[in-house]
Amino acid sequence: MKSAEGRGRTLDEAVDAALIELNESRRHVDVKIISETASETIVEVTVIDPAAAVLGTTMPAAPANGKGETARGLVEGLLKHMGVRAQVSVRTGADPITLDISGRDLGALIGWRGETLRALQAVTNVMVGKHLAEGERIIVDVERYRQRREHTVREIAMRAARQVKMTGDAITLDAMQPFERRAIHLALEGDPDVTSSSIGEEPERRVVVGPRKSAED
Amino acid sequence: MAGREPHRGAAERIRKAIALVNSVADDAGDEDITPTEIAEAIRDCLELGEVDEAPNVRRYLGEALDAVSDGMPADFVAMTLYAALGALREGGSR
Repeated sequence: MKSAEGRGRTLDEAVDAALIELNESRRHVDVKIISETASETIVEVTVIDPAAAVLGTTMPAAPANGKGETARGLVEGLLKHMGVRAQVSVRTGADPITLDISGRDLGALIGWRGETLRALQAVTNVMVGKHLAEGERIIVDVERYRQRREHTVREIAMRAARQVKMTGDAITLDAMQPFERRAIHLALEGDPDVTSSSIGEEPERRVVVGPRKSAED
Repeated sequence: MAGREPHRGAAERIRKAIALVNSVADDAGDEDITPTEIAEAIRDCLELGEVDEAPNVRRYLGEALDAVSDGMPADFVAMTLYAALGALREGGSR
């Protein structure tokens, strides 16, 4: 798997430096922050789907993924009826089954705080529901928005954890969507020094990152 | 922004109900949402007079409430609530 290290004053600059080296777009990469200081950020950028990067987003899905193909066909039809010109592909190797929608000017398909994307995902799951096992779901992503958002909130979680370790004080994060809160809980669950919990009511529910109390406390 | 969302109170309550349903669908891991709580959130929406100011909003909310009591999947309930939110916006833009 191709990867490159990037350095820059900001996260964006560091990622851009690595992307230039890889000759790759943001859509096909995963970013891992190696270090982050006030003056420099170092990242490792890895191409997550080299085949798709080479062949473009219309690369056919794995033939074994019948459910994914069914969902892809349905979403393509739905987008056509909506008058949206976009390509839909099944993300290879993803669990749960993930559909990637790509094209130009798809901001409207994401909507305010991902609301339209979320609605599209709900409709897709209802349409494909009879082909899915109990508890199985289809994830719909537009221009890797969801993935980028999850990545962003994981970074927020890590920063909050670092601060909690330094100060010993709990931090309350901004209100987030359920999948974002879940990403934070998963990011911090293995950290022996901090713990995360949620407070408040939807849609203002927030994650609190605080120091983990030892057993004798 | 306010001009784009005339029935803001109702929209916020519907969004709250959607967020609860999405928490169940996402398995957010930080709460234990019961169907009763979702039903309560939908009933809170139905209590607002605003939902009668746009066509079909009350009907969609009623369908969502029925879906919860029928034990329909979270995505189905969410889809119906999104339809209510959409109808509210359309009604407001007329």
